[in-house]
Amino acid sequence: MTGAETLEKSKNHNLGEKLKELKQGSSIQSILPIFELIFILILFNYLTDGRILLATNIKLLLSQTYMLLIASMGVFFIMSMGCLDFSQGSMLGVSCIVTCYLSNYNIILGIVGGMLTGAAIGAMNAFFHIKRKIPSFIVTICAMYLFRGLCAYLTTASPVYANSSITEFNTMPFMCGATFVVLMIGFVIFRFTSVGANLKAIGAGEKAARFAGIRVERTKFLVYMIAGAITGFAAFINAIKVGSVTSTGGNQLETQILIALVLGGMPISGGAKVKFMNIVIGVLTYKILASGLVMLGLTTQMQQLIEGVVFLVVVALFSDRKSILVIK
Amino acid sequence: MSNLLLRAEHIDKHFGVTHAVKDVSLDFEKGEIHALIGENGSGKSTFTNMLCGIYQMGEGKFTLDGKEVRPKNQVDANHEGISIIVQEMGTLSGLTVAENIFLGNEDQFVSKGIKNTAKMNKQAQEYLNEYGFERMIATSVIDHYNFEDRKLIEIVKATYFKPKVVVVDETTTALSQSGRDELFKHMRRLKELGSCIIFISHDLEEILNLSDRISILRDGDFIKTVKADSVNEEELKKLMVGRELGDNYYRTDYDSYIPAEVALSVKNVSVPGQLSDISFELHKGEILGIGGLSECGMHEVGKAVFGASYDRAGEVVLADQTKINDITTAINHSIAYASKDRDNESLVINDTIKDNITLPSMRDMGMFLSDKKLNHFAEQYAELMSVKMVNVDQFVSNLSGGNKQKVVLARWIGKQSDIVVLDSPTRGIDVKVKADIYALMDRMRKEGKAILMISEEIMELIGMSDRIFIMKDGKINGEFKRTPELAEETLIEKMI
Repeated sequence: MTGAETLEKSKNHNLGEKLKELKQGSSIQSILPIFELIFILILFNYLTDGRILLATNIKLLLSQTYMLLIASMGVFFIMSMGCLDFSQGSMLGVSCIVTCYLSNYNIILGIVGGMLTGAAIGAMNAFFHIKRKIPSFIVTICAMYLFRGLCAYLTTASPVYANSSITEFNTMPFMCGATFVVLMIGFVIFRFTSVGANLKAIGAGEKAARFAGIRVERTKFLVYMIAGAITGFAAFINAIKVGSVTSTGGNQLETQILIALVLGGMPISGGAKVKFMNIVIGVLTYKILASGLVMLGLTTQMQQLIEGVVFLVVVALFSDRKSILVIK
Repeated sequence: MSNLLLRAEHIDKHFGVTHAVKDVSLDFEKGEIHALIGENGSGKSTFTNMLCGIYQMGEGKFTLDGKEVRPKNQVDANHEGISIIVQEMGTLSGLTVAENIFLGNEDQFVSKGIKNTAKMNKQAQEYLNEYGFERMIATSVIDHYNFEDRKLIEIVKATYFKPKVVVVDETTTALSQSGRDELFKHMRRLKELGSCIIFISHDLEEILNLSDRISILRDGDFIKTVKADSVNEEELKKLMVGRELGDNYYRTDYDSYIPAEVALSVKNVSVPGQLSDISFELHKGEILGIGGLSECGMHEVGKAVFGASYDRAGEVVLADQTKINDITTAINHSIAYASKDRDNESLVINDTIKDNITLPSMRDMGMFLSDKKLNHFAEQYAELMSVKMVNVDQFVSNLSGGNKQKVVLARWIGKQSDIVVLDSPTRGIDVKVKADIYALMDRMRKEGKAILMISEEIMELIGMSDRIFIMKDGKINGEFKRTPELAEETLIEKMI
C-alpha cells in the first residue's frame, strides 16, 4: 500500500466514522428517507406542473405499486439477515406462469400453486446457500438466470393466459386491501414478535446470534421459503393486473426491489438498523421517481441511467462500510 | 523540564453521547515507563488511540518534541515516531512475517517502482534475530504462528524503528508469563534508549514493578500522576475507583460442602485437536474452576458443555437425562455461556443493549412482544448489573470491556439460567467490576446454581472455586479441593 493510498483510505475511514457518529448521535438515518420521499415528490410535482399528483396519476401509480410492495417485503426479510436475493424477478415469472395456468382450473388453486412454486425456488436457493455454503448473491444470481430460462421455455409457443375471470379482482379495493393485509401481517410479525429481533441479530452477527440460541440455519431456510411464497402471492397480483404472462414476466423486478429498499434507508448488510418502514417509503420513493421520469418524457435508456445514478449515490452515502464486507 | 518528550493538552473526545475523555492534560518524559490506569471506560484507550491515529482526534493537541502531532492513521503515527501494541490481534493473516513487520512502510525497499522483497525479508530476519526471536522465519506466513508468537512479532513491528513513544495497551492479558517477560525486557530496553513507554494494564502488580510514574484516569477525567515508588496497590485501587475497596474480593469461606446433586455430567467428551476423553460432573451450588495454559483445551470445555463445539464426540447430559448437542437446546435447558471471545460470541456487537439482553429470553415472553415489555426487561437487568449506559437502545459496540461483560451477565441472569459457564469472566476487566462479578458468582452459588468457571488466572481459580481441575494437552491433569493452603505453585506444577 503506498502512502497516498493509505491516506485516502484513512480519509474515507474518517468520513465513515463521522457519518457513523452522526447516525448514532441522532437517528438521522431513519428520518432521512422520509425527507427524500418528500423532496422527490416536491421536485417532480414542480417539474411536471402538478400532473404527478393528479388523481388519475395517483391511481395509476398505486396500481403499479402493489406487486412491488409485496415482493419487496420478502426480500426485506432476507436482507435483514444480511443475505441477498437476486432471483425474485425470475421467481415471479415462473410463479406467475403456474398461477395463470392453474387459474384455468380454480383460482384458489392458482394462488396456492404460485406460492408453493415461489417457496420451492426459495428452498432451492436456501439449500445451496446454507448447506453448500455458497454466498447468497452468487446462488440467487444463478437462480435468476436458471428460472429466466425456464420462463422463456414455458412461454415459447405463446404467452400463458390466466382464466379471464381473474381480471374481475382488478379493483382498487381488492388490490389495495390485499396489499394492506399482507403488509400488516408482515409488519406485526417483524415488529411485535421475536422474529424481527432474531433476523436483525443474524444480520448484525451470525456467530453471536447462534450463541444467543437462534437456530440460524433453520431461520434462514424458512425465511427464504417464506419470501418465495410472498413473491408467489405477488405473482397472483401481477396475474390479476396483466391477465397473462410472457417470457419477460417479472423482468428486472429484483433490481427494482433492491433500489426501492435502499432508497427507503435499508442498510445493504442488514442488521440492527433495519426498519419495516424502509419497504413502504422505499417503494413509494422509487415509484414516484420512476413515474416522474416517464412523465418528463425521458427515454427508457435515460430513465435507467438516472435511476442508476440515484441508486449509487444513496448506497454510497448510507452504507456502513465496516459491515458491508460481510454480505452473505 | 528538559526531559519533556510528549505533552498532551486539553485532550477531549466525545463518541456520540458518550463523553469518553474530558479535558486531559499530561506530560510524558524521555526514558520513562509511564503507566495509565483506570477502570474500564475511564478513557485510557481512547486517549492513546487518538495519539496513535486509530481514532480521530477530538479537541486539544499532542506536542511531541516541540512539534504538534495529529496522526491520521497508524502508519502516519509511525512516521511521527509513535507506535502501539494492542490487546487483540494486531497482525494481518495471510501475509508473511516480514510483510507484517513492514506493513505500510514498504517504501524503504522500493526502488524505481519495484519492491525488493528479498531485501525486506533479510531486514526482517535481522530484526527478529536482534530481538532474540531466531525461531521465527521472516518469510513464512504469519498464520503458522500462534497468538502468543504473533504478539511477539507485533513487538518487533511496533519497535524496530526505535519510536519515541510506544503505547502498550493491555497487551499483557494476551500473553503467558514468558511472553510477558519478553515484552517487559523490550520495554526496558526502549526506555534505556530514551523512548517513553505508555503502559496500560489492569495488573497493578505489573504496573508497580515496571513503571516510573503512574497517571490515573476515572470516567474520562484525569485524577493525578504519582511516582510508582511512592504508592502501593491499595492506594492505586482507591484512586481508580474513588472509594475504599475491601482488601479481599475473593471468597473467604472454606467450610462450605459441595451439594451431592449433580446438575450436568460430561461423559467421555473429545474434540479433535482440543480435548481427549474428558469426563466430570458439575454439582448444583458449586463453583468448579478449570485452569491451565491457554492452549490446554480448557476453553473448548465451555463450548462443549454449551453444545457449541464443532465435531464433538461423547455426551453432555443434564440431571433429567436431556442430552445437550446444540446451543439452542442448551439455552432452553437453562445453560448460560459467557465466552472468552466477548465481541464475537458473547454479544451481537452491532446491536443494541436491549436486543442483546432480551434475545434468549424472548421465547419466554409470549407470542407478541411490545417495546414496553422488552424495554422494561432490558432495563431491569441492565440496572441490576449496573451497566454504564445512556439507555438500552445504545449499541453494545460503544461500551467498554467491563460494561460489555455486564451486558453478557445481564442477559443470562434475565434468562434465569441454572447452569452458568463462564470462560475468562474477568478478562480485561478492572478491579471494581471484577469484585462485582465475584460477588455475583458467590450469590449464584448460594442460590444453588452450578457454575463452571474457566480461567487463565490462577489467583481467581484458587480464590473462587470449590473444586479446581487443571488441564494439560486436552486432558484433566489434576484435581484440587478448596483449602486455604492451596498454593499457586501446586497448580502450576500440574499445568506444565
